[in-house]
Amino acid sequence: MIAQVIAYGIVVGALYGLVAIGLALLFGVARYLNITHGSFMMMGGYVSFWLFTLWHVDPFASVPLVMLVMFLIGLILYKTLFSPLSKLPEGLKINNSMLITFGLLWVLDNAGILLWTSDMRRVTPSYFGAMFEIFDVRLPFIGLGVIGLALLVVFALHLLLTKTYFGKSVRATTQDWEAAKLMGINIDRTYLVTCGIGVALAGVAGTAIALMYSITPGGGLEWLLIALIVLVLAGLGNIKGILIAGVMLGLVEAVSVYVVGAPYRAAVGLAIIVLVLMFRPQGLFTRRTRGA
Amino acid sequence: MLEISKIDVYYGDLQALWDVSLTIEDGEIVALVGSNGAGKSTTVKTISGLLKPRSGSISYNGIRLDKLPAHKMVELGICMVPEGRRLFPEMSVLENLEVGAFVSQARKAKDETISRVYHIFPVLKDRASQAAGTLSGGEQQMLAIGRALMSQPKLLLLDEMSLGLAPLLVRSLSQVIRQINKSGVTLLLVEQNVHMTLELADRGYIMENGRIVDQGDAGVLLGSEQVKHAYLGIM
Repeated sequence: MIAQVIAYGIVVGALYGLVAIGLALLFGVARYLNITHGSFMMMGGYVSFWLFTLWHVDPFASVPLVMLVMFLIGLILYKTLFSPLSKLPEGLKINNSMLITFGLLWVLDNAGILLWTSDMRRVTPSYFGAMFEIFDVRLPFIGLGVIGLALLVVFALHLLLTKTYFGKSVRATTQDWEAAKLMGINIDRTYLVTCGIGVALAGVAGTAIALMYSITPGGGLEWLLIALIVLVLAGLGNIKGILIAGVMLGLVEAVSVYVVGAPYRAAVGLAIIVLVLMFRPQGLFTRRTRGA
Repeated sequence: MLEISKIDVYYGDLQALWDVSLTIEDGEIVALVGSNGAGKSTTVKTISGLLKPRSGSISYNGIRLDKLPAHKMVELGICMVPEGRRLFPEMSVLENLEVGAFVSQARKAKDETISRVYHIFPVLKDRASQAAGTLSGGEQQMLAIGRALMSQPKLLLLDEMSLGLAPLLVRSLSQVIRQINKSGVTLLLVEQNVHMTLELADRGYIMENGRIVDQGDAGVLLGSEQVKHAYLGIM
């Protein structure tokens, strides 16, 4: 039984990592805290939902197209709302990006209700509900697919950041944006593309949510909260620890549901945030002081 | 090559530079010296585009620089080694060099330039895979210069290169600077270390309180009573 609980926790945790990674990327690189991240997850979920409903596109196969659509939306977000903040000092940039995207959240969520009604939607392909059984542990195929998707995303992001010139310029900008400018890096462009990628990753998470749970226009807020918990767990700005932090949260939640009951699931997540902020505010996987 | 003409620069409402004019000719080593807070760093930051002058102009081979964003300067062949090195501490030595060759012309010649930089600073080759933040102060300065050379600059601006380094190391860096200059790079040295810099330079400018107060042949400045008095502590 406990093995089943742990297996479930890992599946959900992989999704949690996926939910947080785009938010962590944009915050870590450009210091924009995107409160609409959850709404963009829903939007990505809708793209996948309509592709499936109208043209029977398999949800996993729809991921590249969802990413492309959401990437473009991310570029528009940066050009219209974030780039005016780019000259502000770090603290003001975080605060103002939070306020602006908080406003945008209401606009998007209500526009979503007008466009798609507030009905709950989910993507149910033929293998929906199919199980895979090993040593008495039953795992849904979709859950395995989501773990694969999360690993793929983390691996691809790692390759992008360490092997490509663009990725190196992103890391350089993160570590010292002024020095990055002096090396000829157009940091505004770096932020723009990073914002596109962050929102595209929200779309990936949304596709997984539409498969494992369901989507509604206002449903993003709950997922934003999970993304923020994972972000704090990993340490703000730490991209490497996100998937592990997500899986940890998933495991703790699953075990707590088993021990104290499902109604306390959300409370456990919030309790973890409080504990981490009290005893390890830099996050579990971040050193307190960064290099010289 | 570079002509700064009567620039006034402000930090917010605070004026930091008054009517600063300075020229650099092709192939020269020019020194900009003065005490802490005289406005030297403000001047190079304005050349490299991190600060914008409120009045006056900066032109480089006929191109107006003072309206361009900082990252464009590198494409034009102007690169700055900032005060305090400002390396990317969590990236490896090699990655720092690679980022130095970010602009497209430099990127094409990247491998060649890296071996040239390794030839000038062999220690960087030994440390290639080490994180830049773990290098010693001297090695960090070498990497900062190496990183700037990666962009294949025609004009290199060095801000407080000798700060916090042992005298022996400063002397060997001076040799390196001569060598870089001989390879065809024009240099502006911004320093508090007046003696070392004026010995190295062809011409010099002296700054005080945000203004240029004296200028001329480096040897002449080094011998002048005012410089001896104010900066070298010789009566």
